[in-house]
Amino acid sequence: MIGADLTTALPEIVLALFAMAMLMVGVYGGKDKLAEPILYATSALMVMLALYAGAQSLDAETAFNGTYLKDGFAQFAKMLILVSAAVVLVMGKSVMAETGLLKFEYPILIALSVVGMMLMVSAGDLIVLYMGLELQSLALYVVATMNRDSTRSTEAGLKYFILGALASGLLLYGASLTYGYAGTTVFAGILSTISEDGMSVGLLMGLAFMLAGLAFKVSAVPFHMWTPDVYEGAPTPVTAFFATAPKVAAMALIARLVHDAFGTVPGDWSQIVALLAAASMFVGAIAAIGQRDIKRLMAYSSISHMGFALVGLAAGTAQGVQGMLVYMAIYVTMNIGVFAFILTMRRDGKPVTDIAEMNQLSKSEPLRALALLVLMFSLAGVPPLVGFFGKFYVLWAAVNAGMTWLAIAGVIASVIGAFYYLRIVYYMYFGAESEPLDTVRAPVQGTLLVASAMIMVLGVINLFGIDAMAALAAEALVR
Amino acid sequence: MSLALIAALPFLGALLPGLMLRAGRNACATATGAVTLLALLGLLSHLPAVLRGEVVQARFEWLPMLGLNANFFLDGLGFMFAGLILGIGLLIIIYARFYLYKSDPMDQFYTYLLLFQGAMVGIVLSDNILLLLIFWELTSLSSFLLIGYWKHLPEGRQGARMALTVTGMGGLALIGGMLILGNIAGSYDLTVILENREAIQQSDLYVPALLLILLGAFTKSAQFPFHFWLPHAMAAPTPVSAYLHSATMVKAGLFLMARLWPVLSGTDLWFYLVAGAGLITMTLGAVIALFKDDLKGLLAFSTVSHLGLITMLLGMGTEIAAVVAVFHIINHATFKAALFMTAGIVDHEAKTRDIKRLGGLRFLMPVTFVIGTIAAFSMAGLPPFNGFLSKEMMLHEAAHTSTLFMVMATIAATFSVAYSLRFVFHVFFGPKRDDYPAKPHDPGFGMWAAPALLVVLVVLIGLFPKTMVGSLVATVSKAVTQTDELPYYSLALWHGVNAALIMSIIAVATGAVLLLLHKGLDRAWIAAPRPEAKEIFDALIGAITRFFSWFTDLLHDGAMSRYLAIFTAACVVIVAGAFFSADYLQGTRPMLPITNASIIGFVLIMVPTIALAFLHRNRYLSLVLMGVVGLILSVGFAYLSAPDLALTQLSVEVVTVILLLLALYFLPKETPKESSPARRTRDAVIGAGAGLGIGALMYALLRREPDNIGWYFLENSYTGGGGNNVVNVILVDFRGFDTFGEIIVLGIAGISIFAMVAALMRSAGGKRLREMAKDQVKIGDRHPLMMVVATRAVLPIAIVVGAFIFLRGHSEPGGGFIAGLVVAVAVLMQYMASGLEWAQARQRVAYHGMIAVGILTAAATGIASWFFGYPFLKSTFGYVTIPPLSKFELASAMAFDVGVFLTVLGAVMLALAELSRMGVAADPDQPVNTDPMDIVTDGGAIRSATKDS
Repeated sequence: MIGADLTTALPEIVLALFAMAMLMVGVYGGKDKLAEPILYATSALMVMLALYAGAQSLDAETAFNGTYLKDGFAQFAKMLILVSAAVVLVMGKSVMAETGLLKFEYPILIALSVVGMMLMVSAGDLIVLYMGLELQSLALYVVATMNRDSTRSTEAGLKYFILGALASGLLLYGASLTYGYAGTTVFAGILSTISEDGMSVGLLMGLAFMLAGLAFKVSAVPFHMWTPDVYEGAPTPVTAFFATAPKVAAMALIARLVHDAFGTVPGDWSQIVALLAAASMFVGAIAAIGQRDIKRLMAYSSISHMGFALVGLAAGTAQGVQGMLVYMAIYVTMNIGVFAFILTMRRDGKPVTDIAEMNQLSKSEPLRALALLVLMFSLAGVPPLVGFFGKFYVLWAAVNAGMTWLAIAGVIASVIGAFYYLRIVYYMYFGAESEPLDTVRAPVQGTLLVASAMIMVLGVINLFGIDAMAALAAEALVR
Repeated sequence: MSLALIAALPFLGALLPGLMLRAGRNACATATGAVTLLALLGLLSHLPAVLRGEVVQARFEWLPMLGLNANFFLDGLGFMFAGLILGIGLLIIIYARFYLYKSDPMDQFYTYLLLFQGAMVGIVLSDNILLLLIFWELTSLSSFLLIGYWKHLPEGRQGARMALTVTGMGGLALIGGMLILGNIAGSYDLTVILENREAIQQSDLYVPALLLILLGAFTKSAQFPFHFWLPHAMAAPTPVSAYLHSATMVKAGLFLMARLWPVLSGTDLWFYLVAGAGLITMTLGAVIALFKDDLKGLLAFSTVSHLGLITMLLGMGTEIAAVVAVFHIINHATFKAALFMTAGIVDHEAKTRDIKRLGGLRFLMPVTFVIGTIAAFSMAGLPPFNGFLSKEMMLHEAAHTSTLFMVMATIAATFSVAYSLRFVFHVFFGPKRDDYPAKPHDPGFGMWAAPALLVVLVVLIGLFPKTMVGSLVATVSKAVTQTDELPYYSLALWHGVNAALIMSIIAVATGAVLLLLHKGLDRAWIAAPRPEAKEIFDALIGAITRFFSWFTDLLHDGAMSRYLAIFTAACVVIVAGAFFSADYLQGTRPMLPITNASIIGFVLIMVPTIALAFLHRNRYLSLVLMGVVGLILSVGFAYLSAPDLALTQLSVEVVTVILLLLALYFLPKETPKESSPARRTRDAVIGAGAGLGIGALMYALLRREPDNIGWYFLENSYTGGGGNNVVNVILVDFRGFDTFGEIIVLGIAGISIFAMVAALMRSAGGKRLREMAKDQVKIGDRHPLMMVVATRAVLPIAIVVGAFIFLRGHSEPGGGFIAGLVVAVAVLMQYMASGLEWAQARQRVAYHGMIAVGILTAAATGIASWFFGYPFLKSTFGYVTIPPLSKFELASAMAFDVGVFLTVLGAVMLALAELSRMGVAADPDQPVNTDPMDIVTDGGAIRSATKDS
């Protein structure tokens, strides 16, 4: 019985045990001297777990009395989370080492937050949901302030922590309201209560509180304020991590919650999600225009992108969930590429983040510039690059669900957003004459940058089949 | 040849130039040309079918789930455009071979050109509108590469930026419009959409779809008010300008309007938007063109003007106007490409494009002169060239539309004559000069062959329109209008004396006069204030950026208080929205009677709470007020028959206050006043909203009958857990596992505080702390005698109370947690009363160890149940009699409770003792008590109260 449960949740357990073991190894071993091997081991383990998750059958299983779910949806999200976390870890290693931040705790904290994320996407119960979310968040609070000697970094981390605590409080408040009215914390139980007795006002308010708390985690407007500060303040490799795996997990968690626990009443939550989506798309697009710092710019960009992913969720259909998953997969790939570039931005050996530094990059480094050009166009959603298909999927789902206004809003927001992506391209190709950025020998980042751009181009053939996988995952969730 | 192959050929061929360059520049150009020629031949192989009115199709599935398929179709319209793109493309390739300098990387140029060509062919052959969108954006991308080909020209940058911004955003708008269109029609295939005119025009979404599509088309085809980017994109190499800005890219917008003409046109909105924009663009472009000194600038604005002309014709919505539009597209492509190439030749040979520095070239460059003149006369609309034919037909249509159109069209035609003549006379006529930057002469045959061929076409179409293009125009027009029968029209030079001819004659005469007056007009033009598109664009972009930056700064000023305000307000709005969207049913539970005691309690909670909001700057006072609230709360628990909670609340409250008191020692005594009254009012409103909301929620919840989960515990507490105190049984039995987790957390927290404080004291922060404490005013008597005596007397009593609470815990209010806190408070009081040193000297307990023992005890209790075959932490109980005590109950949970007790005591002592150690470290000069009841004298020395007496 318990053995079967443990087998079902094996990936999480393995990673958690690994993290704890590495903590001991780190503390009693060579401390930061071991950071590099621990980092690579963590990354390798994550990739193996992703493969393991991918090799599992798609049949839905539950464990621990229905509080832990393993289905196609969870597997899809886990693969995405694990692979992106592993890639970002390796990608940021050299920069962390250069800035003296490569402590042995870093990979361990990332591993722990990934355990949290895996639990989040597999949660079948409000308590498990909260447990995963907090495990993830607590680890993230710490990595956000990794650069303890920087006031900016610690200030951003502190704000993130306080707002995050508030968001968690809201989430718990909502969860307890839900529990009070449904009499259970298990999603399936909540769903059956709703289908029997209908949606009571208490449950609705509980849902509203929980959505507000979760909106914070995906940095949806108006709960997004921490994002630019943390993106800017955190060390760039950490920012890259923030921009990828946690967003997938939180987005998947919202999907899980609204469909598994409140799936029979999409009318009640899709309006809230739609409003969050519209606000995020617009604020993200508008606010990025004035930014000079590429990390802040990417923060607003991610806010806007989360808005688009939420459009898929707002549709409340399997198609919408599929669109959201496809969108997140594409978003993560693009972000890895862009951050691979940001990590190599150097002038006179020092990292720089001002976008004007990219002036005339096309002259000194045509390949990097071309790759970034492709990524920027893809982020803007210009066809035929893969970024377009992501937007197309979610907007299409919204239109089919009768939310044409949201789709039109999305188009307008993407037009506004195109401005700042194109501006970067402009700087690279037509910017004022100035000393170009340093030519950095960075094989890992360079490869990832080019690979990410190649994916954006080659993906147009069939999106690497990711849409079909996402469709299966969405079917597992939306019944 | 399959249509898909025709579209794919340029893309495949784009690999060739790079490979062939090593074999020489001729091989490179030949390979590129061969690719284009092959595609052109493939296209021509469909000519008979197209002329028969058939629609050639090729369909492939791509992403059918999305409705995106590689479907191509070819009818007259597609054929004409594809023919122009490939035909002129071929000429451009030949021309560019000779135009490009040795130092220019030719392979890059040809690669970009082929990519662009492929994208353009893709647009005009696509059946699927999603596919069309993809090709559409590909033209933006590749044109961007082409425009930026000569990166060293600084003026190219601004142009590229505007081109990129305007067409990029227009393209995205187009996506939106096309998606809506496809959604209305139920298919993304053009062949289906074109049959759904009724459904589309009656749909509510017709207007947004039309607006978005026109936005895409207007930006691409440089129609007013987006006409400004095109002339600035002219820094590109001339072959690029000739190709992109005369024959192809800018015509993509026209193509789109023509393609969707059957379903979108015919409404008033279409007429006003399209014909209006076209009319304005036509006139405006013609006027500006006259005053451009840059040859390519002149041609660029002329292109803008002619595109406006075609747009206007499409906008009129009549079939005959569509025919004229089609005819003019062909004519314009021929003469304008020739003109651009002529301008390129002049630039190439004379090394300048400035008209004011040119003149007299007719003797130096006779061939170029002939080509340029014929093409320019055609542009001016002079007979017998093809430009004349379509212009006459256009004027005829304008004259029949309204007076406004007639007047404006005549003005546009006038300026058109003027700038065309200026192109001829100011460049080729006039005296020979001796200050050309380079000595001009005719280029080799390779360079003038392409424009010459085009000029031959200009003449032939002008002379024999019916033979040359009659059937093509008819086929294309049928495709545009999607009808089988076109109204009567005639392609001929002479239609008799009619309104159009008179307008034409006026235009030519006035145009010639304008040219004569050009010098004066030019001065006036330069002196006159006029909106400069580039400056307006820059200013607009600047203003938008500033506005959005202001907006962003407003939202994200980095202040936590603002974030929290937005956060809280958003929550209130969302939850209130959820509440009001549902039906609220009043709870049925009766209210409790309101007694005097409850009123007093209520007031005692409310008054300090409200006072706190006003007095929170005084931190010590705030703490006192919070303490009051906490105490009344515990009284409230007792009043509402929850003695356990009351006890817990009471002890936690005391510990919390002590903790905060210790922490306050290191903080400023007052919070600085930072916010304005307006902000405080805002915060008050938000806070009141949130507070009232939560209050209302509480009320609503409490008015309901409690859920029956409580009854389960009440019923099973004694039978299952052997205790009457349900709270304690829940803690140690039903939810023992939770408690086990909690004490571990508590233990970790205690140790963490210990570790962090120790680290802090060693760090820079600790140093600051020590500096700070020096300035504080201290009270004289650190250890008041009264307090010292009282705490010592209380200590044994408190420990007994703790033991009592612990022992009775399982059946009566109490338990390990409360007992731990009670004992901790008693010991802490010794610290406060007699000082850290004194207290530490008298109790050498390793609190780390105590935490560990506590947790291990609890764990051992849990594991013990495994040996009896029960799950972890399953408790049991029995009754034992130990003389001389009477029979009492012993539950295994008691051992677990011991663990809880030890952990709580250890954690609290460890944390608080360390915080007080921080205080001592901050002020190491403080005198230390050595004996009981020492007191400090005025001089700071210590006097023992017991020994000296």
